[in-house]
Amino acid sequence: MSKIICSAAIRGAHNIVDKAEQKYQEVLDKWGPDHPVGFPNTAYYLPIIYGILGVPVSKLGDVRPVLEKCRSLLPPLVSEKVWLPYLAPTLEAGMATFFAEEIIEAIRYLEYPDFYTKQEDPIGGNIWLGAADDIILRKRGVEFVDGTAPGFAAILGAPPTKEIAAEIAKELQEKNLYVFMCAENNGVRMSEQLVEAGVQIGWPTRLVSFGPDYTATVFAMGFATRAAMSFGGIKPGDFRGNLLYNKNRIFAFAMPLGPVSDEWYANAAGAINWGFPVIADTPIPEILPTGICTYEHVVSNVPHSEIVQRAVEVRGLKVTVSKIDIPVSYGPAFEGERIRKDDLYLECGGGKTKGVELTVSRDLDEVEDGHVEMIGPDLDQIKDGSKLPFAMLIEVAGRQMQEDFEPILERQIHHLVNYAEGIMHIGQRAIMWLRVGKAAVEKGFRLKHLGTIIHAKYHQEFGAICDKVQVKIYTEEAKVDEVLALARKVYEARDKRVDRMTDETEETFYSCTLCQSFAPSHVCIITPERTGMCGAYNWLDGKASYEINPTGPNQPIVKGECIDPVLGKWKGTDEFIFKASRQKFQTASAYSLVHDPMTACGCFECIATILPLCNGVMIVNRDYLGMTPCGMKFTTLAGMVGGGEVTPGFLGVSKHYIASRKFLLAEGGLKRVVWMPQMLKKELEAKLKSRGEELGIPNLFDIIADDTKGTTEEEILPFLEEAGHPALTMESIL
Amino acid sequence: MALEIPKVSYSGKIKEIVLGKGDKALTVGGETSYPFYLFEGQMPLKPRIAMEVYDSPPEDWAPTALEPFADVASDPVAWARKCIDTYGAEMIALQLVSTDPNGENRSAEEAAALTKKVAEAVDVPLIVWGCNNAEKDTEVLKKIAEDCAGRSLMIGPVTEANYKQVGAVAIGYEHTVIASTPIDINLAKQLNILLGNLGVPDGRILIDPTTGALGYGLEYGYSVMERIRMAALTQEDERLQFPMICNLGKEVWKTKEAKQSRDEAPKLGDPAKRGVLMEAITAQLVLAAGADILIMRHPESIALIQDMLNDLLAA
Amino acid sequence: MALSGIEIFKKLPKTNCGECGVPTCLAFAMKLATGQAELSACPYVSDEVRAEIDEASAPPIRTLTIGTGDRAVKLGGETVMFRHEKRFENPPGLALMLSDTMDDSVVNEKLSKFKDLEFERVGLILRPQMLALKEESGDAGKFAAFVKRVIDQIDAGIILMSDKPEVMAEALKICKDKKPLIYAATKDTAEAMGNLAKEAACPLAVKGSGLDEVMAITDKLMGMGLKDLVIDSQPVNVKKALEDQVGIRRSALVKKVKQLGFPTITFPGQLTDSKMKEALIASLLIAKYAGIIVLSEMEGHNVFPLLLDSLNIYTDPQRPMAVEEKVYEIGGPREDSPVLITSNFSLTYFIVSGEVESSRVPAWLLIKDTEGLSVLTAWAAGKFAADTVAMFVKKSGIADRVKHRKLVIPGYLAGMSGELEEELPDWQILVGPREAAHLPAYLKQWSA
Ligand code: SF4
Ligand code: SF4
Repeated sequence: MSKIICSAAIRGAHNIVDKAEQKYQEVLDKWGPDHPVGFPNTAYYLPIIYGILGVPVSKLGDVRPVLEKCRSLLPPLVSEKVWLPYLAPTLEAGMATFFAEEIIEAIRYLEYPDFYTKQEDPIGGNIWLGAADDIILRKRGVEFVDGTAPGFAAILGAPPTKEIAAEIAKELQEKNLYVFMCAENNGVRMSEQLVEAGVQIGWPTRLVSFGPDYTATVFAMGFATRAAMSFGGIKPGDFRGNLLYNKNRIFAFAMPLGPVSDEWYANAAGAINWGFPVIADTPIPEILPTGICTYEHVVSNVPHSEIVQRAVEVRGLKVTVSKIDIPVSYGPAFEGERIRKDDLYLECGGGKTKGVELTVSRDLDEVEDGHVEMIGPDLDQIKDGSKLPFAMLIEVAGRQMQEDFEPILERQIHHLVNYAEGIMHIGQRAIMWLRVGKAAVEKGFRLKHLGTIIHAKYHQEFGAICDKVQVKIYTEEAKVDEVLALARKVYEARDKRVDRMTDETEETFYSCTLCQSFAPSHVCIITPERTGMCGAYNWLDGKASYEINPTGPNQPIVKGECIDPVLGKWKGTDEFIFKASRQKFQTASAYSLVHDPMTACGCFECIATILPLCNGVMIVNRDYLGMTPCGMKFTTLAGMVGGGEVTPGFLGVSKHYIASRKFLLAEGGLKRVVWMPQMLKKELEAKLKSRGEELGIPNLFDIIADDTKGTTEEEILPFLEEAGHPALTMESIL
Repeated sequence: MALEIPKVSYSGKIKEIVLGKGDKALTVGGETSYPFYLFEGQMPLKPRIAMEVYDSPPEDWAPTALEPFADVASDPVAWARKCIDTYGAEMIALQLVSTDPNGENRSAEEAAALTKKVAEAVDVPLIVWGCNNAEKDTEVLKKIAEDCAGRSLMIGPVTEANYKQVGAVAIGYEHTVIASTPIDINLAKQLNILLGNLGVPDGRILIDPTTGALGYGLEYGYSVMERIRMAALTQEDERLQFPMICNLGKEVWKTKEAKQSRDEAPKLGDPAKRGVLMEAITAQLVLAAGADILIMRHPESIALIQDMLNDLLAA
Repeated sequence: MALSGIEIFKKLPKTNCGECGVPTCLAFAMKLATGQAELSACPYVSDEVRAEIDEASAPPIRTLTIGTGDRAVKLGGETVMFRHEKRFENPPGLALMLSDTMDDSVVNEKLSKFKDLEFERVGLILRPQMLALKEESGDAGKFAAFVKRVIDQIDAGIILMSDKPEVMAEALKICKDKKPLIYAATKDTAEAMGNLAKEAACPLAVKGSGLDEVMAITDKLMGMGLKDLVIDSQPVNVKKALEDQVGIRRSALVKKVKQLGFPTITFPGQLTDSKMKEALIASLLIAKYAGIIVLSEMEGHNVFPLLLDSLNIYTDPQRPMAVEEKVYEIGGPREDSPVLITSNFSLTYFIVSGEVESSRVPAWLLIKDTEGLSVLTAWAAGKFAADTVAMFVKKSGIADRVKHRKLVIPGYLAGMSGELEEELPDWQILVGPREAAHLPAYLKQWSA
């Protein structure tokens, strides 16, 4: 921590504790140690002292030991020469500051019982509300827990003008934050500025004028401390628990507006203990590295126009968008609508014009949240029945965002756009196809609204990874070409990355237990080279799904020590399977059909099984309804191997996995495959051919038999023999 | 040689949850064995039965189900009192059907005012069940939680869609949440984790696994309940070690066969006995699968179940 | 541990001759492993292999049949403690108790009621299948005459109940062809009853108080070469009844106690005087492993719920129940009534039809065969795709029965509405609510 900040904070803390001691002596002399003292209507005494130290202060006599504690916490003033690691002592000074300020404010209640209004709103000319009582705490605290109010801004001082004050207050309100105000900047206080500007203040508008002095900071901090006790079940005195609760759950920050005095520094140091960062409008030293706070500790010299946005970022606050502001209805009921030729107003992509959509991640400062830009003609500038080139570039930034999540977000565009009434969307990437119906245009729908939809839904559904979303929509040919070129580069890089990823390079796999709803002991282990058997979840999906929904069906599995690289067994996966199958299975191979194959759920895309006579493996996909050489149709097979059971010799596989380098490694891989339905072969043709090349059997694709060659082992065997299929000479599959 | 029945070794225990407040408070849970397997574990606390009370006069009820309440059907407070005074109800479940936006759409304020009246009129534990519309329930249950602060209600259904809002008021105003998921062990577990993360104390969570009526999908809930119990007791699945509640009365009594008269279904015997048995058998089966709290309608089926409970739990 | 399909396959001839009724040895092995075939269907396995496979694949609880023909009741064959672990195999037989001391008229009345108790549900016929004929007169001739009178009137699985071997012998003469269950061998009559059962080739029940006594008797009978046994442990109360049922099933499954590897027979009427409570005890016994449940009374109001209980519990959790594909008329629909379509998963059908019914809006409900999958799963598996739905709608003939052309599809399948409109150009596709519970509200505002 900066030495300047530390020395100032420690100086300030000394001043405040001195002041508290002096005040205390005065009232003690006057009323004696048995006189009651405290904040009104609360069961939490002086809440910071109670929450952090576990000391219930109810009479003046109780104050003495607390002041002693303050003294013992106070580090010596920083001298010019000695350089110490300052963080810890400074934080302790901050703590002492709050204890002392609570005492000062409690004494104020004693000396001037009517100084504060003691209710939710200002009364007459008195705008100072003072400590929140327990009724307010409960009512407002609920909002902190359920997220309707994610946190608060503790503002000290005031911005230069009442207009700026009103602007900042409004912006904070829009983010659903409470604004807790105290202290003066050159005799000006933000609460008073707001009143002058005609803004209504009080708890109901979330603009809370706690008190005129910096000591009123403790009302904000006390509120947070009590919230942890009453909503987090944190016991009084469990200071660690209390501070962590606040750091993790209350999105609060301190915002000193105006020159920062020693006393303000002391308060700021205190707030950092709670994990609340400090965002200042003046050029004070910054403390960027993270530690106590989730991200930066002190960020300074932020212009007033950006200060709220910056604060929100630094505290890691999530934007919530509750309503999608578009002129047509929006919901799953409209997903499957078709726009017919006669209803068509605009058509883009789909082979008719150039069309592309791309989601990319950017740095936080490169994205302006909610920015939607239309470049080129929109629907009101074109004629009914037009065609336009189209590009949508979605730029996303977030602390938890990873490049790997881009394709997952991008894939969502399809159904998100389709939910809008009167809009039809098909495909993705550069083969996207968009149709807008006349009715939608009549209702006022514009292409720009696609951006509104994406912005809102990305926040709603992927808030965990998206902090900021901006969307640019292009309908000018030249611009579309630019995006297209960029997209091609991105797609290529993505595909390469996925291609390069192997089960050896990644330490973490993902599970999927979605199918346990009907197959109680089923667990899919999803590795970079082995997708879930339904084909719907690959490794990246697993990863993203976990980030978005950490308690959901996709959990990370640290694969741990490799037990058998050919079977595909790891310590970590086995442990996970034991637990997730609810102790039914101890182990499973990721790459074998015969030795401890994985459980099968029922929604596998294909089933692989052995053909003993051919010494090989056959694969049949769900869509193939005919007989297969194993003597069973897909449906018969599915009936025998589903339900979360392990059936040696039978395995549910996804289409994608068939072309993986890890496909049935234990049985010899793709070389073992002697039969597939022709439709499946065709679908996988390109991939199978290139795998054949890799394996040094360039004609492998051609020598795999299919239903045109036969549907019994006896029928296909001669074909395989003639073709010299490698399986025939491999080690016996049984 | 005497036979030794192979015993299951139970490593878990269901959490004990206190329902309601004061003299009439009840405690459920505490099991260390599968339901009623007293030969190898404990079931120290008897499952409890709450009697249904509706917030608006029942429409279209089977005559046999309506008959006991005909005189109080339009007065929920009197209805609740009658359950207690005449039928010895140990718990009341207020079904807030009239708040349904697809139906009467009564406001949260009305529902809260009514709940408060009922809460004041009875001293037994009170369950408040919404209309199963997550959005509306949020509004209604929030208001009720606030207005009945400290009454220790059981409020639900709390779902993934509204657990934050309802969970928060439950914490703030000290109520117990009924964590409701659609017949799925993993979703049940996930919701319990989420509620825990939110800060709802373990002593204030009940699992509603979703119950179907006999002949109408009962088996799905039955098996999920068995699996939840198994996970809780033998697989140390701590987030499933909560008592389970089944809101079965309304499911059973809305089925065709529970309502048909003798003329409509001559082969189905005495309509009154049939309805009672359908409800009681549904109850008996969910008890066998692990239910700790039942919400039921007919005094006779309740009496039958009480009798069975006494037999099954006899010392 | 049962053998896996592959292990069985290794022991088969591997000739794929197809004589067993399936095309390959592998397919046959899989059927054996899942209990869907009998080894005897393959004529080419050696005796040695047969013994090996039989031994390994015999279920730990004996499968046996009581009665013959249409009303034969198959019992036992259970392999799990909880239905979700695989499935419960053979639902319990519900038996009505009749005594030879009852008046003829009473017996006749009970029998005619018994015959009437038949219910159709999800394409299945549910009915009680057994009669327990009890000798209380002490008179062999009277009992035999009684048995004769009953079996002349009705075809059912018969349980002959008498403690006296000589009485039993007489009765068997009359009905042994019907493969009745002989009830029961006690520790005193084991040998005599055992011999009777052996001669008549009928299954035999064992009655002992408590499992130890039962085991002693079954042990003896097994020694005599009897295989088809049924157990009655004579519990004194409900609690003990549950304990015994669990104990028997678990001992057989977990500890492979051969003496307890048989289905059970229970008498809930012995545990209570109340008919209602008797039904309740029976309902618990259905869920908890009873093989036969003998009831003292059978009326629609107790039998129907118990049959539902048994249907629910014995439904294969991995193979959903399905209803027939057709147009269902609910509440007498007319040509302007709404037309709805959904999957043939039985639960979907029950819930949807229930809600439509409670809406009191008459409607046509089209149930499409989706192999018992629920709407979303069926859609994902391609069994509720626009083309096949369209085909079904066309051939269902609904177009001739309504004037309008509006089809309501499940809310979850909104995604297919466009495609379906293309397949069914005459129809307007409406997206219904996602939850069945919202159907009444939806239907009430529906207009043709
Ligand atoms: S099959 Fe698909 S959905 Fe099912 S568990 Fe595997 S990955 Fe998940
Ligand atoms: S009859 Fe025997 S040898 Fe022939 S296919 Fe069947 S199992 Fe194989």
